Amino acid sequence: MNCRSEVLEVSVEGRQVDEAMLALLHTILLHRSTGKFHYKKEGTYSIGTVGTLDVDCDFIDFTFVRVSSDELDRVIRKAVAEFKDGLGNSGNDGMGQISLEFYQKKKSRWPFSDECIPWEVWSIKVNVVNLANEQERQICREKVGEKLGEKVINIVEVINRHEYLPKMPTQSEVDNVFDTSLKDVQPYLYKITFQITDSMGTSVSTTMRRLIKDTLAL
Amino acid sequence: MAHFDTEYQRLEASYSDSPPGEENLLVHVPEGSKLHAGHFYEKPQEKTITCPIFFRQLVFVVAFTVFLVNCVDYDILFANKFVNHTDSSKVTLPDAILPVDVCSARIRHNVFVIFIILISGVFWLHRLVKFMYNICCYWEIRSFFINALKVSMADLPYFTWQEVQARIVEIQKEHQICIHKKELTELDIYHRILRFKNYMVAMVNKSLLPVRFHLPLLGDTVFYTRGLKYNFELIFFWGPGSLFENEWSLKAEYKRGGNRLELADRLSSRILWIGIANLLLCPVILIWQILYAFFSHMEVIKREPGSLGARCWSLYGRFYLRHFNELDHELMSRLSKGYKASSKYMNCFMSPLLTVVAKNVAFFAGSILAVLIALTIYDEDVLAVEHVLSSITLLGVGITVCRSFIPDKHMVFCPEQLLKVILAHIHYMPDHWQGNAHRYETRDEFAQLFQYKAGFILEELLSPVITPFILIFCLRRKSLEIIDFFRNFTVDVVGVGDTCSFAQMDVRQHGHPAWMSAGKTEASIYQQAEDGKTELSLMHFAITNPHWQPPRESTHFISQLKEKVHRETSGGQQGVLTDHPVFTTTHSQSDSEPHSLIANLLMGPPSLSSLHLGRDGSIHPVSVGASEGASALRSLSPMSSSINLRGSYPSARLPQPDQPALAASRAMTGSGTDARTISSGSSVWEGQLTSMVLSEYASTEMSIHAVYMHEMHKQQSQDEMSRHTWYRQESDESSESVNEDLESTRNFPRSNTFPCTTTPHQEGAAHHSSRQQRRHGGTADFVPGSSRVQRTPRVPMGGWSEDARTGRHHDTVPEEGSEDELPPRIHKLHF
Repeated sequence: MNCRSEVLEVSVEGRQVDEAMLALLHTILLHRSTGKFHYKKEGTYSIGTVGTLDVDCDFIDFTFVRVSSDELDRVIRKAVAEFKDGLGNSGNDGMGQISLEFYQKKKSRWPFSDECIPWEVWSIKVNVVNLANEQERQICREKVGEKLGEKVINIVEVINRHEYLPKMPTQSEVDNVFDTSLKDVQPYLYKITFQITDSMGTSVSTTMRRLIKDTLAL
Repeated sequence: MAHFDTEYQRLEASYSDSPPGEENLLVHVPEGSKLHAGHFYEKPQEKTITCPIFFRQLVFVVAFTVFLVNCVDYDILFANKFVNHTDSSKVTLPDAILPVDVCSARIRHNVFVIFIILISGVFWLHRLVKFMYNICCYWEIRSFFINALKVSMADLPYFTWQEVQARIVEIQKEHQICIHKKELTELDIYHRILRFKNYMVAMVNKSLLPVRFHLPLLGDTVFYTRGLKYNFELIFFWGPGSLFENEWSLKAEYKRGGNRLELADRLSSRILWIGIANLLLCPVILIWQILYAFFSHMEVIKREPGSLGARCWSLYGRFYLRHFNELDHELMSRLSKGYKASSKYMNCFMSPLLTVVAKNVAFFAGSILAVLIALTIYDEDVLAVEHVLSSITLLGVGITVCRSFIPDKHMVFCPEQLLKVILAHIHYMPDHWQGNAHRYETRDEFAQLFQYKAGFILEELLSPVITPFILIFCLRRKSLEIIDFFRNFTVDVVGVGDTCSFAQMDVRQHGHPAWMSAGKTEASIYQQAEDGKTELSLMHFAITNPHWQPPRESTHFISQLKEKVHRETSGGQQGVLTDHPVFTTTHSQSDSEPHSLIANLLMGPPSLSSLHLGRDGSIHPVSVGASEGASALRSLSPMSSSINLRGSYPSARLPQPDQPALAASRAMTGSGTDARTISSGSSVWEGQLTSMVLSEYASTEMSIHAVYMHEMHKQQSQDEMSRHTWYRQESDESSESVNEDLESTRNFPRSNTFPCTTTPHQEGAAHHSSRQQRRHGGTADFVPGSSRVQRTPRVPMGGWSEDARTGRHHDTVPEEGSEDELPPRIHKLHF
């Protein structure tokens, strides 16, 4: 409830899935990353630089910009590849959703694991289509490029809105807001999840929690 | 054992119906330290505290029962068997207790006992986990209070909910707890806390839940117990496969109208399963209920048998009387204030025959008891005779019970007035009660809201048996209506999640034309809240939260109403009474009007008020006007000093500081300023009492408004009725319709707003009855959810959903017609 959620929908051919996903995820992450923080002394820090890189797609007429961090790229490629495999393996007619969730961590005491509180979720719904001939593929190539361009503008519009972002943390709390594991760039903490079918049920855990919480009001 | 006894009494004390003290105001504490998740709960700290007590109780109940059944040699206790002691012939308690090995052997051979122990063990573990969870929650709340709200735990008892809420609103500006908007309104907070309660209130209001039954012998009855409520909540809100995805959002498919029939089928099969589970668990729950009831109530019954004859607000009553967006403590304080008047009202209906019988029984029982006691005093050995002690006890109980049937000699009853006073506190009552306060029908219906404690306990005991059947046979039939209800009345509020649209208290969407929102409301009959719930809730919320900015129509509504009230008070002052219809009727019907009450509320006991007036007058020059107005009102109403009113109004002392408020606001009439904000400024001299006094002002003001609104409503419906009569007379010249008005009152008209199973008698109120018919017609349309006819495509989407869609506000759940078209749109994307 207490987080923004944005939904993007694309409809692509099977081989375009990973490029399209990469384009969108990287675009979002580009705007949700900063340079590394270098702490000097108390309360002051300098922010490192972030390089950008143009990426041309093979199967789509499209070029996108991403943070020039190979590590980040590797992580995202891995997630997207899994997603694509999942799509391919499912007997489903190629519907799936990948979501990029930005969250903050809240440290809790020993027996409990840290709590992740999302503040922004981007869900990209993918619809894979099958095309009959080469001519259609050619048209699709252009159309998907155009669509992705629109999506990117969409994303930028959303990000430009003056809305909630986590506060800049102090040095001790930087891990609760930013992902500091990468060497060259520091995105907000994020999580990529995907699901292939669109079955949404009450997860067992929430039910259990409710069950424990208010039981027979005796 | 002594230890357990003391714990036990402490909890019991919190069950009693005494009006809540200040501490109840502070019970509601949001669970908020999930700064981000940001959903607030009411979190009674009491719960955490009473939990360990409950544990020990549970263990004790089980252990003690097992002990009593297996480890006591009753033959020795009843002296059927003699014990051979060497030194003395006295039987001691330890003699009656079997040795440990015999005892454990007996337990081991008793399968039933082991079964009970197992079940209670599971239950106990469950409570333990819950308790742990509560502790964690409590810890979080605590740190939230200390760190975010800057309230130390030591100070917390002195904070009222209003102050806590103000702080939460304050820190939203700083920390942005809710990330969707800059500022949090009071309504947002209330919505989060009361999300599901609002749904329940709305469902009771629209009589969607099967809680009223027409039984062959008992007539109209209401059956709504905690077990049933628990099951409803399990089905709708949080159980596995419930309508809600999580705590704040309805599942997407339920917002879509497309496959409602399929969803209804699914819901009904789910209800069936839960009903069967209930049936299977029934023996377990039943045993538990019996044990628990026995141990928790037996002691009280022994101590004061009259408590069984005492009354309490029934669970149904609590839902029927609850405003939208009203927190528990607000409701409880309101109901507790009405308690005295209500029980007095119920006592008006002592049957004379019963009184005579009770007097006789008490007389005979009393004489026997007196003789027995006298004999005992003369020689203690009388007690040793078999059954003397028990007959003394029984006679005592009998006398107490009889006494509760004998009315007080010095009481003067005036049911109409009493009902007015009750109305001032409970704020809701069906239309047909007015003017019929003296009738047994009214009393019986009121008894549904205000039941005997004994009845309450009995219902709770029966609940495990009856609940499964209600679920399986009654609730299942309503599954389609329920699906439609949740679809039509769910609004997605940004930053709050899905809430019940009734709880938005938007007069435009859910107003009832007969409740002064005529012209402002666009609601269809299906959308109107009954009994003026929307209007009264709006008024109540605006009064309790003066800083809240309602939507435009609602602001208009409130200011108009307040202006009217103020105009009338000033009208009364000038003595121009014929100005307004209400005043003219005041004169024509003279005895049962609320003005006496209002005057009384304003004045308080004469002696005190004169004192305070002097004080006020010296400080606020305006208040002289107020005193004039009040006294004018008072002179208007000869009844104002009636014993009933004053006796039943323990807080009459407090409302009187309303005078400066009234005066000041009258000075600013039309501006629509809330009287209380001004009075808060002027009551600085009251020091730290301010907050308490303020909430007292609020409840008084709300009482006045509630009575006033009911009066206006009555006025309006009477107007309508008489207009109709006139038309009829004109059209068919029937001679009997001249006094239709009177006659219909004599016929004990039932309003359709009160969810009765009987049909309305009045033929005069064509407006009403036609509405009723339309409603029934509509209901009949979609009740048989699984019938074949339902599936034809031209059947409406549920109760008036067509109107619902046209009247939809922009912020309702987006009608999923658009979303249903989504797949084609995606397909369009590829080329």
